[in-house]
Parts: sequence; C-alpha cells; structure tokens
Amino acid sequence: MRPFARLAPILAPALAALLLIPGLPAQTALAQGTQGPLRIEITEGVIEPLPFALPVFVAENAAAGQMAQRISETVAADLTGTGLFRRIGPEAFISRVTAFDSPIRYPDWRAINAQALIVGAVNVSASGQVTVKFRLFDVFAGQEMGEGLQLGGSESGWRRLAHKVADTVYSRITGERPYFDSRVVFVAETGPKNDRRKRLAIMDYDGENIRYLTDASSIVLAPRFSPAGDRVLYTSYESGIPRIYMMEVSTAQRRVLDDQQGIMTFAPRFSPDGQSVVYSLSTGGNTDIYVLNLSGGQPRRLTSAPSIETAPSFSPDGGRVVFESDRSGAPQLYVMPATGGEVRRISFGEGRYGTPVWSPRGDMIAFTKQNAGRFHIGVMRADGSEERLLTASFLDEGPTWAPNGRVIMFMRETAGAGGAPSLYSVDISGRNLRRVNTGGAASDPAWSPLLP
Amino acid sequence: MRTGFIISGTGHMALILWLLLGGLFARVDEPEFTATDAVILSESDFALLSQPGPPPEDPAPAADAPPAPEEAPAPALPSADDAPTTAGVPEIPETAEPDSAPDVSAIAETARPEVASVAPDAPVSPPEEPEENAPVTAHDAPPDSAPAPADRVAPSPAPPPEPEVRIADSLQPARQPDESRTATEEVQQETAPEAAAPEIVTEAETVRDAVARASPRPPSRPARPAPAADPPPDAPTPESDSLNDTIEEAIARANEPADTTPDTTPRAFGPPLTQGERDALRVAVQTCWQVDVGSEAANITVVIGMSMDRDGKVVNGSLKLLSSEGGSGRAAEIAFQAARRAILRCQRGGYQLPVEKYDHWREIEMTFNPETMRTR
Repeated sequence: MRPFARLAPILAPALAALLLIPGLPAQTALAQGTQGPLRIEITEGVIEPLPFALPVFVAENAAAGQMAQRISETVAADLTGTGLFRRIGPEAFISRVTAFDSPIRYPDWRAINAQALIVGAVNVSASGQVTVKFRLFDVFAGQEMGEGLQLGGSESGWRRLAHKVADTVYSRITGERPYFDSRVVFVAETGPKNDRRKRLAIMDYDGENIRYLTDASSIVLAPRFSPAGDRVLYTSYESGIPRIYMMEVSTAQRRVLDDQQGIMTFAPRFSPDGQSVVYSLSTGGNTDIYVLNLSGGQPRRLTSAPSIETAPSFSPDGGRVVFESDRSGAPQLYVMPATGGEVRRISFGEGRYGTPVWSPRGDMIAFTKQNAGRFHIGVMRADGSEERLLTASFLDEGPTWAPNGRVIMFMRETAGAGGAPSLYSVDISGRNLRRVNTGGAASDPAWSPLLP
Repeated sequence: MRTGFIISGTGHMALILWLLLGGLFARVDEPEFTATDAVILSESDFALLSQPGPPPEDPAPAADAPPAPEEAPAPALPSADDAPTTAGVPEIPETAEPDSAPDVSAIAETARPEVASVAPDAPVSPPEEPEENAPVTAHDAPPDSAPAPADRVAPSPAPPPEPEVRIADSLQPARQPDESRTATEEVQQETAPEAAAPEIVTEAETVRDAVARASPRPPSRPARPAPAADPPPDAPTPESDSLNDTIEEAIARANEPADTTPDTTPRAFGPPLTQGERDALRVAVQTCWQVDVGSEAANITVVIGMSMDRDGKVVNGSLKLLSSEGGSGRAAEIAFQAARRAILRCQRGGYQLPVEKYDHWREIEMTFNPETMRTR
C-alpha cells in the first residue's frame, strides 16, 4: 500500500491525462470530416455532337422568304458538317420562333435537349441587299452567348453571309477560330485515266461555287494559296517541263517564277508574310530547296545535299521550314531554320513520309505516310512526337489545313482502271471523315485563309 | 492488501493503456463513426417535436453506438413487426442494460422507457420511410446482397428509436475509439468497405435510371431521421460486451466534457458521402460532359464551384470558374462552358444525393480533366 500511496500523486494526473487524450483525436477527426466543399474529379466525358436547334430564320419581308430558308439550311449544314454538332429537327420544337426579338422560353428548348439555340432573321431590300441578324443562346445556362450580330451583303453573296453566321456560332461554342467562310483551290480532273485533263479550279470550302482558273490545255499540279488568299502558286507543264507560276485570283493573270534555263521548279509554297516563296529546284539530277523573294533578287539555296529535298512548308511564324528528304535512304521529314542551316529529323516511324504541311496553329505538322502498301494522312507535333494516323486507304495524299488548323482536306484515289481522285476532309481528331462534293474528280486541294 | 492493490492497479493500468493504444490505431476509422452520428442528428430534429427529455441521457448510449451496426440488422429481423424498424428496438434494451448497470443507472433506466415509447412511434414512421427507401434501394439494392441489406435496414428502423438516437450521438464519437479497441473497430471496418464497394458499382451503373427518377426525392426528406436512429442502437451492444464496466465508467467520466462538444458538431454535418454516392454524382455529370477532343479546350482542366439546394439542383447563378490550367483564357472559357453545360444539363430534376448528408454537398467543387480523353 505504501509504495502505491507514494505513487498515487504521480499516477493520478498521468492517468487523468491519458484518459483525456483519446477525446482529442476524436474531435479533430470530426472537424476534418465536416469542413470544406465536396470535391469531385471528372475525367471521362463523352465524344458526341452537340445538339442545337435552329428554327428557320424569320423572314422580315415577303422577299426574304426563300432567302431565309436557304441561309438557315446552309448555316445548319456548316455546323453539322464539322461532326461537332447535331441539328434537332423542327418537328421536335415545342415553342415556335415567330419574331427575332421574342423572349426565349428556355424550358421548351431544354425539354428537347437543345444545348444551343440559334435565332435569326433575314431581310431583303428592294435593291437586293440582304441583311441577316442572329442571336445564339446557351439553353441550359439560360443566357445568350455573345452579342447578337447583323451582317449585310449582296443577294448573290448569300452563301458567304450564311458561312459568316455559322462561323460566329461555331467559334463561340467551340472556341476555335472560324473556317467556313473560306475557299479551296484544287485540280479538277475530267476524262479517262490515261487521258486525264486537269484544270485549276476554286470553290467554297463546302464544294459550292466552283469556277475554273485555267483551261485544260496543259497539266497543272499542286496549287497553293497565298496567306492573303489573293494569289495562287501552282506548277504547270505549259512549257514542257514543270515550272512554277503565280496567278492573281481576281484577274487570272499569271507569271512564271525563276525562269532559269535547264531547271525544273515545283512544290512551291508562300511564306507566312506572302513576300517570298519556298520551292524545290531540280538541276542536274539533284533536287534542293530554294527560297525566292517576290519583290526581286536571286533565289537563295537552303539545302545542298546529294539527296532529294522537296515539299518545303513554312512554320506559321516563318522561322522554320519542314521538308521531305531521302538522305537517310527513305523519305523522312526534317525541320531546318528558314534561313537554312542545321537540319533535324522529326519522323522516325516505319515507311515513307512526304508532303509535310505546318498547321496554321503551329503546333502540328500533317503529312502523307506510305507503309505496308497503304497510304495514310497523319499528324504529328512539330517536334515529331505524338504521331497519329488519321486515315488509311489505297491512296491518300496531299493534306492541307483549314484556316483554323482543325480540319485537314486531302486527296483520295480509288484503285483500279476506273479509279478516280476525289477530295475528303477529316477532323484532326481522326473523326468525321467525309467526302467533299466537287461534282467530279478532283485532286491537290489547298485551303485558303479565312476570307475577310 | 498490497498485492491485491498492485494487481488491481496494474491490471487497470494495462486495460486503460490497452484502450488508449487501441483508440490511437482506431482513429482512422473515426470519420466513419462520425458519419453514423450525423445521421442521428437529423433525427434529433424529429425527436424535438416528440420528446424533449431524451437528449440529456444520450451521452452514454452514444459512446456505445458506433460498433453496433453489423450486429443490429440480424437481431432486428426476427423481432421486428417490420423487419427494419423492429430490429433496432430489441437490441436497445440489451445494450442499455450491460452498459447502464455499471456505468450510470440513469442512462439504463432512460433507455428502457424509451424503448417502450418507441414501439408506438414505429408504425407511424413506416409510411414515410417507404418513400425514402424506394430511391435508396434503387441505387443500393442491385449491387450486392450483403452490404445492401445493412444500408436498407439502417434507414427504415430509424424512426422508432429516435429518442435513443440522440443519446447515442453525443457520447459516441469521442469514446468509441478508446473503449471499443480492436474488436469493435474491426467489426465496423468490415461493414463499411463491403457496403461501399457494392454501392459504388451499382450507383454508377444505375445513375442514368436514377437521374430520371430524381424528381421523387423531395418527398423523402421527412423520412431522413430514420437512418440516424439505426447507428445508435447498434453501437451500445458492442461496447458493453467488449470492455469492463468500471473502466468504461472512468473513461466516460473523463471524456464527458470533451464528448459533449464534439457531439454537437457531428449533428450539424452528416456522415461523409460514401464512395458510391460520390461516384454516382461523378457518373451522372460525365455522361453529359461532351468533350471536343480536337480543340484547344481539350488541353484545359477547369475547376468549377457551385452551391446546391436540397433537391440536388444547382442554385441559380452559383456556378463559377474557380481555376483553370493548361491553356489560354479563351479556351479556358470554352472549357468552362462545356463543363457548365454538363452540370446543368444532367441535373434535370436534381442530382441523386442523400438528403440527410446535405451539409456535405451543399458546396461542391468539380474538376473536369480531359487529359485521358485526348488520347482516345
């Protein structure tokens, strides 16, 4: 008893302290469990088109009835053509839009699962002036996206008005820069395979409004738009050997570039500032890359190797050039400074790489790849990483970027004696492959910049 | 005398230390216990309407409550008029007696009268409960038989025990870890994982169906008290069995001040959402999150904050972009809009969230990370 009694004064507080300790963690644990918002991380979404409702634009006068219908359909076709949008049929609509300024009944549109609503009106004046105004709504947020917009133009230019409307909607919803109001220059082909007649042609991006820039008297190849869209470079066999020509789109006037004797020039592209042209020059059996200032002066040689260097393309900042070379034994892609100099190889996969094109965004390079008997259109990052093949077929070739760097158009040719080339477009995600209706065989597409 | 005293002293010390150490290890589980307490809190509101007396008594039962959950369902079924409701009742008397005899006479007495009074209440509550149960079962029932019954039982029995529930809540959070030690802890742990795992799968899978049925939720609110009641009845039994009465008394007295304060806190907040409940919300939103994988916005992770009302719907105008990472302001805005559409579009009648845990999801921060989408 005595020893314990001595210890008691010491033990008592110690015991008390021990007993109290357990309560403390319990309290802190409670506090932790009850503080702060609920945190959820979402990493899996769905990849599917966004449903939108586009009631036929309101015709504000009698003359605008048909025009309103056409413009509405074209806007809807532009959006659905991207593969990112899906139009909800008017038969599903609960409320009708009878006036441009009538208030939006969001619940009616939510009920049919429309995520975006486009309301517009069209007016055609007696002088033939067309005015389109529209508003875009985020149905589930219950608010307008951006300001209403009004566009005007001539009656004959109604397609451009529709494309502008679609561009604005597309850009506001996706955050991408627009590209519907753009054109494509290409080679229109007619006749059998052994007597193919080729003409330069230009069309709206969706295949409408085709017009021809040259007649079929000589073979033309690989047209390229200038950064401003006012000129086209192309290669013609007019003189019997391939030569580069530059044409004013508005007047169809043309002139030959670099008319030295005894050389062949081909595969031209403009620099981003439109002041110079980079191209391939073949002389004495060797092909190298040259750059020519359009304001005058002599061509400057960028590569000097015994191998074949061709298909140069500027980066959008004008600082570098990507091109194709077989210096390793098979065609591969290389990047060098725009002034020439150190060359770095960026493609290392199996097969043959060709026709590299730098994206307008600058982050990607599109190319043609031939491997195991098939052709592919692919993209890789500018440093050669993340190579991804978007298509595969008997013959795919010649990619060209949409002005926003989001879509690639290319030529696909079918096999056999009856095979014919046609134009296709594909999203850079590899989805939404679709044929462009050019009304006939077509090859070598080149996308223009966005029209002003 | 000495030897007896020393033996007694060392024995008690050993027991106390054992309890304390056991409690330390057990701390990890504590949040779960608190969770049961939270359920109880909601019942308290109900109890206030019916019985003012019980609250003071609660502290002792509360301590016991946490361990019980597993045992409760089995006994309940045999005794029950209604399987869920009666289950809680029979256990209560048992638990109360062992604990109360040594610890506090008053507690034991109060517990018994409550049981009697509870019985009449039970029939009243059942009609309300079905409403709650219906949505709950829809989520939980399909996945696994074992875990599902435990959850179902809990919600239904709650109404009758209401008075008891209060009692249990106050003491439980602090004491249980210490007293219950390994034995009680193990029991609780096992139950929690089982219930959680099956629930997750089922809720996630059934989310779409649940979303459509979301509208019925509002009516269920009255029933909420029921789930709270279950945990307390269960808790008392395990504690009494596992530990000596004297030790419990001493610990209880020492902890009482600490326990009372924590109890109020858990009442305000329910138990945290289970993984299954969180997954249900996640899946519900992601089925509406449309990612444009080719866009710049697909490189951007956005964090969105929002306030929720009790129907599981986003409070108007509370959606806001908290932060973004990986791209420019324009693309971040697009990523935000896409995430906002996902949240607003899939809520429909309201997200399926447990109303009794409203305080846990009143504020939500949702992160939308498209990284894995890009590579598909």
